[in-house]
Amino acid sequence: MPNAQILVNWLLIGSFYAAVALGFSLVWGIMNIVNLAHGSLLILGAYVAYFAFTALHLNPFIGIILAMLALFVVGWLIQYIAINRVIRAPLLVTFMLTFGLDLLITNLAQQFFTANNRAINSSLAGVNLTLGAIVIPVQNVLAALIAVLLTAALSLFLARTRTGNAILAVGMDRDAARLMGINIARTYALTFALGAALAGAAGAMLAMTLQFQPVDAGQYTLFAFVIVALGGLGTPWGALAGGLLFGLATTLSGSIQAIGPGLQTTVAFAVLVLVLVLRPRGVLGKAFYS
Amino acid sequence: MATHAPARDPLAGTGAAGVRRESREWLWSLLAGVAILAAIALVPLSGDDAALSLWTLIVMFCVLAQGWNFIGGYAGYAAFGNVVFFGIGAEAVALTLLNGGPFWLGLLLGTLAAGLFAFLLGLPVLRLRGHYFAIATLGIAEALGELVAAKAIGGPGGEVSLTPPDLDFHIANTLFFYGFLALSLLTLLGTAWLARSRFGVALVAIRENEEAAEALGIPTFWYKVGAFVLSALPTALAGGLYAYWFLSLQPTGEGGVFDVGYSVSMVLMTFLGGAGTIVGPLIGGIIIEYLVQTTTVAFGDIHGQLLGALIILVTIFLPQGLIRLVRELTVSPAGVKLSYTRRFTEGVRRVQRFIASNGI
Repeated sequence: MPNAQILVNWLLIGSFYAAVALGFSLVWGIMNIVNLAHGSLLILGAYVAYFAFTALHLNPFIGIILAMLALFVVGWLIQYIAINRVIRAPLLVTFMLTFGLDLLITNLAQQFFTANNRAINSSLAGVNLTLGAIVIPVQNVLAALIAVLLTAALSLFLARTRTGNAILAVGMDRDAARLMGINIARTYALTFALGAALAGAAGAMLAMTLQFQPVDAGQYTLFAFVIVALGGLGTPWGALAGGLLFGLATTLSGSIQAIGPGLQTTVAFAVLVLVLVLRPRGVLGKAFYS
Repeated sequence: MATHAPARDPLAGTGAAGVRRESREWLWSLLAGVAILAAIALVPLSGDDAALSLWTLIVMFCVLAQGWNFIGGYAGYAAFGNVVFFGIGAEAVALTLLNGGPFWLGLLLGTLAAGLFAFLLGLPVLRLRGHYFAIATLGIAEALGELVAAKAIGGPGGEVSLTPPDLDFHIANTLFFYGFLALSLLTLLGTAWLARSRFGVALVAIRENEEAAEALGIPTFWYKVGAFVLSALPTALAGGLYAYWFLSLQPTGEGGVFDVGYSVSMVLMTFLGGAGTIVGPLIGGIIIEYLVQTTTVAFGDIHGQLLGALIILVTIFLPQGLIRLVRELTVSPAGVKLSYTRRFTEGVRRVQRFIASNGI
């Protein structure tokens, strides 16, 4: 494989990974919740996009928007009904709660949608740009661009809008924010709903570019964690940096003969443990989310 | 508003009366635990092979939860990768037997290897806190399982099939059952000792406020490493027993010896019973594994959904665990005599306040 091809593959998979981790990073940064149901929300988004394409014959890019809307509602309900009840409990409690949610959603998905591997085969799939020996799949490039756009949009939303500022304020100091007249329960629900919507977008991209099935959920949760820990928690751009770094680790380790493709996860975790020990805040990490 | 719940651990008692009351509690807990294990010890008398293998599994999960309780319950560190010690114990036994060595040597090697691994792993990861510690341990368990599978340790894909022990099937299974039971009893005694020792008090101090503990001169880091090693030992022994009992092993996937599902079970069981209590993990382990096994038989299709819903309900409505719930409902405040109905109604109010204080 030419080096330029490795570079292209890396950028494409890296931006996809950034999309996987973006919502996870927001929820963790603002509410200090490691959302173990993130992967299953992502898979739900993939199913929304899949059925929008196969049953409603919609363009896959409209499927992304539908997946975001559907997952926004699901996320809002989850936070309002369940997570808000344990938000002040020790971290293991939210850990267990979101794990239970993950188990519930994954098994329900398996029950209703079966364990078959699915993928969207749109007219764009298989369309490639070729530059010499380098092959660039168009659909993946569009998905990567959307991932970067979402990162920028989230960053602007948090920094420039009143609602975004309220989310940041709640993340910095919950009780002070409440004294300033911010409704905490609703802001948390909005934050989780946004995180779920971003997971839905990543799921729709997954459906467009790769295969998926319900049991893949755990893998994407794990990826999201590694990416956020690598990139740093403080900012949406940390997810992008972490996604690119994680993509680099998996792409390189897959192409080095001595390591081989079976050990990509091992290599990723080895990198993670190194980063955690050497720089616990991640590459772009800050003290709070902004 | 921020209504901070009072610390509900046995060592937070203030005043002499409180201390004296709590100091009897460890004895009651220990006796209750021994009584439970003694009752379970009668299972083989029924002569029912299905019941025997069900209760062997239940006791094994009790040991895993009891082991996790040292690092997760007492020290309060969210270790999500303790299955790695189970896997090391199982692999050590499998490799020893495959190479013609005796079973006891495999158990010994596995326990030593797991203890050493916990020590060496603890040096870097116990400097991490909170979620980072949880995920670093989780990642190491995943990575080690993948490594065993990719390097085909013990067989293609890391899958191992062992020859059964040279004994009658029923006798062998009964022996394994009592092996797990003895291990559980040993871990129970260890927990009771820990709860009353300087070591255990230091771990609780770390759980409640690590900076304050450090400021009091407690060498927090070394106590944490100690707790991590302590939790590795029974887990590795259980893994070794499991390997020779179950005979066929795979490293990853559902039911694999490095499957993160085991870690989750340890946490859930300890939580349901009561994290950082002597007999809590035992009770939680029995309830959850019994429910899991029976619902798998009765509702095979939806048992995953049921388990997920159970986890959600337990974490929202029983965050302190059953042991502390019973204590809240039966014990009156130190130095005050109340009738049992008053204790109960006051207890219900306290529990409701506690659950509400976790929410917004």
